[in-house]
Amino acid sequence: MKMKKIKRFAALLMAAAVMTLGVGECVHAEELPYDTYTYTYWEDIAITPAAYVPNGSASGLSVGTTDFAEPQDLCVAPDGLVYVADTKNNRIVVLGADMTTLVRVIDGFDRDGNADTFNAPYGVCVSENNQLYVADSNNKRIVVLTPEGEFLKIIDNPQSEILEEGFDFVPLKVTVDYADRVYVIAKNAFEGILVFESTGDFTGYFGTIDVKITLWEKFWRRLASKEERSKQLLFIPTEFTGIDIDSDGFVYASNIDSEGVQGVRRLNPRGEDVIQKGENENLGGDLIVGMFGTYAGPSEFTDVVYRGRGIYSLLDRKRGRIFTYDKEGNLLYIFGGLGSQEGTFNTPVAIEAVGDMIIVLDAYSGTILKFSETEYGALINDAVGLRYDGDETEAIAKWQGVLKLNENNELANSGIGKAYLTAGDNKTAMKYLKLAMNRKYYSIAWRRYRNELMAKSIGPAFTVIGIVIILVLLYKKVIKNKLAKRKGGLAG
Amino acid sequence: MNELFSKEKWKYAFYTVSHPMDAYYEIRHRGRGSVPVAIVLVVLFSLSFSINRISASFIVNDLNPLAVNALTELFSVLLMYLLFCVGNWSITCLMEGEGRLKDIAIAAGYALTPMIVCFNVGTLFSQYVTLDEGGFYYMIIAFGVAYSLIMALMGIMQVHNYTLGKTLVTIFLTFIAMLIIIFVVLLFVDLITQVYSFFYSIYQELIFRI
Repeated sequence: MKMKKIKRFAALLMAAAVMTLGVGECVHAEELPYDTYTYTYWEDIAITPAAYVPNGSASGLSVGTTDFAEPQDLCVAPDGLVYVADTKNNRIVVLGADMTTLVRVIDGFDRDGNADTFNAPYGVCVSENNQLYVADSNNKRIVVLTPEGEFLKIIDNPQSEILEEGFDFVPLKVTVDYADRVYVIAKNAFEGILVFESTGDFTGYFGTIDVKITLWEKFWRRLASKEERSKQLLFIPTEFTGIDIDSDGFVYASNIDSEGVQGVRRLNPRGEDVIQKGENENLGGDLIVGMFGTYAGPSEFTDVVYRGRGIYSLLDRKRGRIFTYDKEGNLLYIFGGLGSQEGTFNTPVAIEAVGDMIIVLDAYSGTILKFSETEYGALINDAVGLRYDGDETEAIAKWQGVLKLNENNELANSGIGKAYLTAGDNKTAMKYLKLAMNRKYYSIAWRRYRNELMAKSIGPAFTVIGIVIILVLLYKKVIKNKLAKRKGGLAG
Repeated sequence: MNELFSKEKWKYAFYTVSHPMDAYYEIRHRGRGSVPVAIVLVVLFSLSFSINRISASFIVNDLNPLAVNALTELFSVLLMYLLFCVGNWSITCLMEGEGRLKDIAIAAGYALTPMIVCFNVGTLFSQYVTLDEGGFYYMIIAFGVAYSLIMALMGIMQVHNYTLGKTLVTIFLTFIAMLIIIFVVLLFVDLITQVYSFFYSIYQELIFRI
């Protein structure tokens, strides 16, 4: 009898366990191969809801041609077509906007009656005027074609006295601004980005990265003799790795910063860096990095994409992560990772944006990985975009949506706090601004709230003080009278 | 015990703040100070320091409150106090200082009073300030620290009957002495660990063989 009871109880327990486990599996059904996270004010990692999720991929085979062989760059044309620089196959492959159809393959062109081909085309770009620029690296030239592959012109052999004797022009990445000026990242061009006029004349270097020498290194160089110094490593500026351009003609260029402080620059037409940095003055990707091993060290940005309304994304090849910043240098979200699962990279080399999607080119597997934005990502993008447009009130609704999904989002708290501040609700503003760790605006809200409190309490306070004074005076008078009476009484 | 904690002794700590030179003289020669009061002041200082770091308004306080551990800070402050007293005592013994270890402990402990007051006042005041007025907060804190440093200097000077120059030299040497003490203690701990592990391995050998 007793045994039966125990058995029945055990069966019940099992059923309950199975049920709970089943429910648990349901919750984790859409698990992603990576975490989406951001860094808090205290520079801790905060896991957030996913901002972008993998949404399939495209390869040479999937669109109906041979597989890509170590493709190095991709570019989205103004009409939405996607151009892939299929480096090892010496061709440019043009895909449809949805990346499922093949539009055409450009593996050569007709140059004044002679057939010509590419040799390791490394970079590709389509200008606003719909001209295709190919960085034909081993042929040491930039080839300009129509999107259909008709030859237009060639830019090669830059001539200038600022170039070193015997400078070998090996273009890697190329981009073009609205005035058809050509910006080229070339191999071993440490002085910066090479700029060519639309005529093809070399005008000079652009956006040189200053060499950083620490005090310690300076000290050792001072101690070293001339002979020793000649044997030491040269201090060479880091090269740019990726390049993009916004509609105003500002150039976004990524670089590998060994200190992990600034991995991207926004260069104005004079070549000066005008990028805005956030509260922590950091545009270098991961803040927490390991010290040892191949997976350690600061992020290494290999490409940058300007996504409009001040938002830009950076591709880190070290840990395969994509970092997104807004115009003010705030870190919005980080996602992606290395691996072999769907939605992870092996050797990510280039990043682009197609509408709401982010696409990343993986050189090792020769695939284009697509990521589509989630509700969370869309809300953040919209809110930041609305703020960029100056429409703060519209942004509030979006920020509130963000808070519903992630109540610790500091940007959302900051945005809502500022809105309450504008609306005059200083106390609520203080609450949100403190959550956002926004010291400057919290201080403003507190000053206004303090003034409010003072204005409210100054009347009652003076009344109380007045009553106290009157009471004290009366009391003194009464005591005096009593004393006088007592004296009088004594005298009487 | 009662005598050491009496109202007189507590009042004398505040008299030391207002008349440091005279008070330190009397502490040395008339036994007006009290070591327990000094130790309580050190504990109070540690607490007000931690409270300031945890709960000063975030407008002027750039510390993560979760990163502050009041207990560890209490132990490290007490340890530093002990180290300073012992270090100073060992140096001044060699340099004709008149002060006893007791006097040094009292001088150092009483010198913390301005910091205790200013840190707490600063914490309260920080709840009221805005970013532009933050300067006043930092002024309060800086005033407390400066007053305490000056008091400590006067205390050491009076207790040992030194000139100012000699005091500064001994304080510098005190810090070196503290470093040496730390070094020796670490060395000692390391040796003890090695001896312990030696005997422990013998014990293990025996256990496995028998």
